[in-house]
Amino acid sequence: MDVGPTNTDAALVTRDGRVVATAKVPSAPEDPVAGVRAALGRLPRHELDGVAVGLRGAATAVTRRAGLRRVAVLRICGRSASAVRPLSGWPADLRAAVEAGAAIVDGGGGLGPEDRVPLDREAVRRFAGAVAGRAEAVAVVGLFAPLDGEQEREAAAIVRAELGEIPISLSADLGTIGLLERENATVLDAALSGFAAAVADGLAAALAELCPAAAVFVTRGDGTLMSLAYLARHPGLSLGSGPASVLRGAGALTGLADAVVADVGARRIRVGALAGGFPEVAVGGAEIGGVPIGVGLPGLIRVPRPFDPAELAEAVDRLQPAAGRLPLVVVGGGADAVPGGLHPEHGRTAGAIGAAVSPVGGQYERIVRLPDRSALPAATEAVAEEARAAAVRAGADPRHVEIIEVTDTPLAYLPGPFVRLRARAAGPPSPL
Amino acid sequence: MDIDAGLLPAFARGCAVLGSGGGGPVRIGRAAALQALEDFGPVRVVAPGALDPDTLVMPIGTAGSAEVMAERVGGTEEPLHLRAKIEELYGGRVGAVMASEIGGANGCLAVAWAARLGLPLVDADGMGRAFPRMDQCVMELAGLSPTPAVLCDERGRTVVIDHVTGPWLERLVRAALEAFGGQAATSEYVLRGHQVPAATALGTVTRAVELGTRLPDPILTGKIAEVGPSILVEGLGPDAGRLARVEAGSEYLAVIEDGEPVAAVPDVIALLDTRTGEIVPADEVRYGLRVRVLRVPCDPVWHTPAGLRLAGPAAFGLTGLPEPVAARRTAGDGGSP
Repeated sequence: MDVGPTNTDAALVTRDGRVVATAKVPSAPEDPVAGVRAALGRLPRHELDGVAVGLRGAATAVTRRAGLRRVAVLRICGRSASAVRPLSGWPADLRAAVEAGAAIVDGGGGLGPEDRVPLDREAVRRFAGAVAGRAEAVAVVGLFAPLDGEQEREAAAIVRAELGEIPISLSADLGTIGLLERENATVLDAALSGFAAAVADGLAAALAELCPAAAVFVTRGDGTLMSLAYLARHPGLSLGSGPASVLRGAGALTGLADAVVADVGARRIRVGALAGGFPEVAVGGAEIGGVPIGVGLPGLIRVPRPFDPAELAEAVDRLQPAAGRLPLVVVGGGADAVPGGLHPEHGRTAGAIGAAVSPVGGQYERIVRLPDRSALPAATEAVAEEARAAAVRAGADPRHVEIIEVTDTPLAYLPGPFVRLRARAAGPPSPL
Repeated sequence: MDIDAGLLPAFARGCAVLGSGGGGPVRIGRAAALQALEDFGPVRVVAPGALDPDTLVMPIGTAGSAEVMAERVGGTEEPLHLRAKIEELYGGRVGAVMASEIGGANGCLAVAWAARLGLPLVDADGMGRAFPRMDQCVMELAGLSPTPAVLCDERGRTVVIDHVTGPWLERLVRAALEAFGGQAATSEYVLRGHQVPAATALGTVTRAVELGTRLPDPILTGKIAEVGPSILVEGLGPDAGRLARVEAGSEYLAVIEDGEPVAAVPDVIALLDTRTGEIVPADEVRYGLRVRVLRVPCDPVWHTPAGLRLAGPAAFGLTGLPEPVAARRTAGDGGSP
């Protein structure tokens, strides 16, 4: 399924990726579950193993500043990162919709264990007391948490003890090195917790009734899937998921792992790229609703309709990875308006097909100090293991999780041999 | 001139241009400067000639990894610790601060720290652009001692380096940076007001504002056609048919067309993304970007034999490169840019 702003698409796809039937119905404003019900009803009746739903509501909530919870921000860094306050540089209206207090408390990590500063637990308690009654969710952001998330969990436990059950988002679950962007992503994640809980409950109830035997997943911005429980805990991961599943669907329908994809909608064309079967992420960081968030959203260029063919050609060329031109795949409800390129059958519902054929994903990143290159394989294996565990937590079948990407990037300007290791894992949905 | 929140975006953009593709994350320096200006008010920019001859001028900046700075965005007390130690070592009050490096994040950090200290910012800096080494500065060319120099972190942990030359300063700073977790605030080549006119790159704060307000005409408009050992830029529009090679390390180092350098370090080379209007750092260049290639003349002192030895093409491993056409012309005219 793919719940878009205009239409909700559905596709019935076999285990080996063959498209049996598709359907397209108008989306119901503010009610993604209604669209899912209607579109599912248009498909031939079938015993479903699983349902994967692409939601664009998270991004819409942020851009419209609607349905967001008020978030209190706790940054654990002491004096090491206080030069820029939380929510600094946010558009005023989004800030007004989300802000519910912020504090910077002592603590935080560094590149090595000796850089760690003890958490000021008393200050965390004071923060919780100060935001009690105002905050509907809490974002906890620790310095270097992607290397060591222990203090974020410790602080979350204190906040929970003070405030009771309240949604708490931890930055280590969401982003990479880059404190301000990761903090922004964590705040939005917390702000979206109400939306995510409502959608997860609604989808679970509707689908339990319509196809009780099916496992239910939703799409995420990196082109993989996660369970409804995981969505409720990490709603920010669904940002960018709409375009991501369209890209994945275009790849599945053409058998291409690398391609430039034009998704032709009613009002605009979104051009993105597929690299190694997954969406190419935005270079230089992603932004949503006027806020840089740093997490790997698909890199897109938007061309308004009616379009200038030269402008579209330039956008397509910009997304080529190299001069050895990749094929252009044209999909989406308005694909007929764009001549040229590959127009695969069922391209009108590429987003739904992309959701159906995608694996469940997980990723992990850390910076390590490597005395020499011979230590790299062991360090990489540890990071890959964390990515594998993250995929399993998101709902992947642990027996079949595979590592789909491992990168190591040396860090410049440091005398020590520091390397950033990043791994992504994916596997089929768990049958449990 | 005062730098306030209204002028900051133009200044920061100018700093990004003068980074020549390097110099660290300007967006963080800019955010830190904005908060400091909001909290402490505008920064007065003082002309080098207007300084009292005995005024102690404290060059300031951050050294370290851009990756670390992206996480450890810095605190509010580094400039206070630096000033206290510099005043103790030099026996007097610091009267003004100066950017060690106007290009990149450090230009903006100088504004942030001047605001926090309540001190004027000298309209000059140590480099007139960004360079990877601390001793690649005009004070070094002028024969000033880099020490005693001070390094500290956000919590005031402090190292004093003394009795060393520029290259040794660089060596000891790199060693200290590892212990500091990859980043430290620094002050080196501390000088007096009377030394500023002859030993710094002059007028560079004003120049950053001017560059950020109005960029120079591009030497080439095109698209990135290949990113490999070199970057290839294929001309578009009025430049269709032209092809240039851009050499880059941590910064852009040279633009070569028909075997002839049309721009080369120590001059500044900047790439502007025509879609977003943003300056593109050297490590974010990728195929397909539509760019304007800009050449901005460096301070003329860098084109002297001593300047070229310290920061010319050969210092960056580019050998056999003739002086760029534009620089030869500038030198021949005897004029400054």
